[in-house]
Amino acid sequence: MCTALALFNKMPTIPLHLTKPTSTSHPPENPLPPLLHTPTGLAILELQGTIHFPMPIPESSASSSTQVGKLVFPLYKSDALDPNDLKWMKRVYFYIGKNQRLTGEVRKLGKPFAVIKKREKRENGKDKVGDDVEMGGAEEGIQEDGIQEELEIVQVVRYKIVFSTRPEPVGGEEV
Amino acid sequence: MAALQDEGSVPFSIAHGQQHLRLLELPAEILELLDAPNPPPLSIKSQAASGASGTPSAKPAYAVLCTPTSSFQLRQVQTSNSLFVTQATLEAHGNEIPAPTICAIASCAATLELHPSTESSVVHLQAVLPVYDIVGGDVDVAGNGKSKPVIFSHIPLSDGQCESGWRELVAFEFAGSSYRPSANTLSQAWKSISAAALAEGVKLDSQFLTEDILRLVDEEGYPSDLILAILRLLAADNQDKTGPWSCLDRRKTACFVGKTLLEARQEKKYLTAEFLDDWRDLLPGTWREIAKLDTISGAYTLPSSTTIRFNERLAAAINAEDVTSNAASSSRKWHERFGRARQR
Repeated sequence: MCTALALFNKMPTIPLHLTKPTSTSHPPENPLPPLLHTPTGLAILELQGTIHFPMPIPESSASSSTQVGKLVFPLYKSDALDPNDLKWMKRVYFYIGKNQRLTGEVRKLGKPFAVIKKREKRENGKDKVGDDVEMGGAEEGIQEDGIQEELEIVQVVRYKIVFSTRPEPVGGEEV
Repeated sequence: MAALQDEGSVPFSIAHGQQHLRLLELPAEILELLDAPNPPPLSIKSQAASGASGTPSAKPAYAVLCTPTSSFQLRQVQTSNSLFVTQATLEAHGNEIPAPTICAIASCAATLELHPSTESSVVHLQAVLPVYDIVGGDVDVAGNGKSKPVIFSHIPLSDGQCESGWRELVAFEFAGSSYRPSANTLSQAWKSISAAALAEGVKLDSQFLTEDILRLVDEEGYPSDLILAILRLLAADNQDKTGPWSCLDRRKTACFVGKTLLEARQEKKYLTAEFLDDWRDLLPGTWREIAKLDTISGAYTLPSSTTIRFNERLAAAINAEDVTSNAASSSRKWHERFGRARQR
């Protein structure tokens, strides 16, 4: 816990901004059920254990990500008569690879999560939105010349997709 | 939506370059602020670890999230599960047509929890503000060279909480430093305010121009911010404390005058009758009937049938209680959390 908060020792007060979604930005189409949509397209998924996948060979891979599986909402009907019918939340499948399946659900968070990101403010007034928010390492919080560290809440997420059971084997082409 | 309808499934990928995002659990109070049309500024304040570890005075480093008026301690909670932050993207894998995909862009091994901190800022301020004590007309104290905002920025509580402690201590800025007055200083300053009011014919419990009092007291060498702090502390509740006018609350003032007079006397023997006389002399004529012992009940002890003494334990007890209840509650919370984690 102490190392995690070491970042804050360098500077007594760090502003925590709230990024309001801008109406001009058009996030990519969100394939999740609308209830799970957020202005930034961010969502939260929790599962037991870790997902192992073959690390790509940097040169040969044009893609910046590896598809590891598919999410299925078996009870969800996009043309359902009653959009307030939330029974579909009770079941979500997560197929990993070809042979494993996790069963889970969509849960409303009792306490929503704020997704926090580091924002670097340069002295020339231009904001550089950094990809990294490092609150957990020894190297973090290093104040380079003219860079003041600031944090921002990029999104408040109110639901999570959670898989709390172990994966079960499934045969062949399920999806 | 197309993907969901056509294939009934959503492709899930993991980004090779993971971002470092953190998840902060939002209690209802904070959520309400964030949902408001104009959310107030939030900040994270920290206090470095102090004292050698293992010593009783050692305090671990901690950080708090501050709204303008409240503060929440940040605690990190490890999760045994994988917690992904995902982003809706358009991705093509292999030779396929790009399809809406859910991509895990960050994995969080821990989340941050917020716990309301109701700690008083008084203890923190007492530790950092030098005491401004006037002895025989002289003040022998080195300034800390820190303005009020600088002092506040180092206290792990919200500005609102710092401000109320600052007011309680009658703290003030003078010549680029911040101080808290001793009871002795307060008692003397009040004497000057009271004398000035008498000289100017100012009725302290009705509206008067602050400047009228300030001008006279200034001549005696009191920092004007100290006098303002006293007048603000003693102002009637319905009084606007920022304008050029002041109006004091009789009872609050009488109580303050009695307590500071007694506290300033410290260990020295004080005859109860003498104290009551001195107290009454420091109040405007029409207020004198308020100067009775029950006005300051709890603030004094009677070591003998004829003498009175300031109740040191009162002040000490408040602070000590604050510290221990804090320590107890935080350790209790740790325990609870471990309990919860085990049940999971």
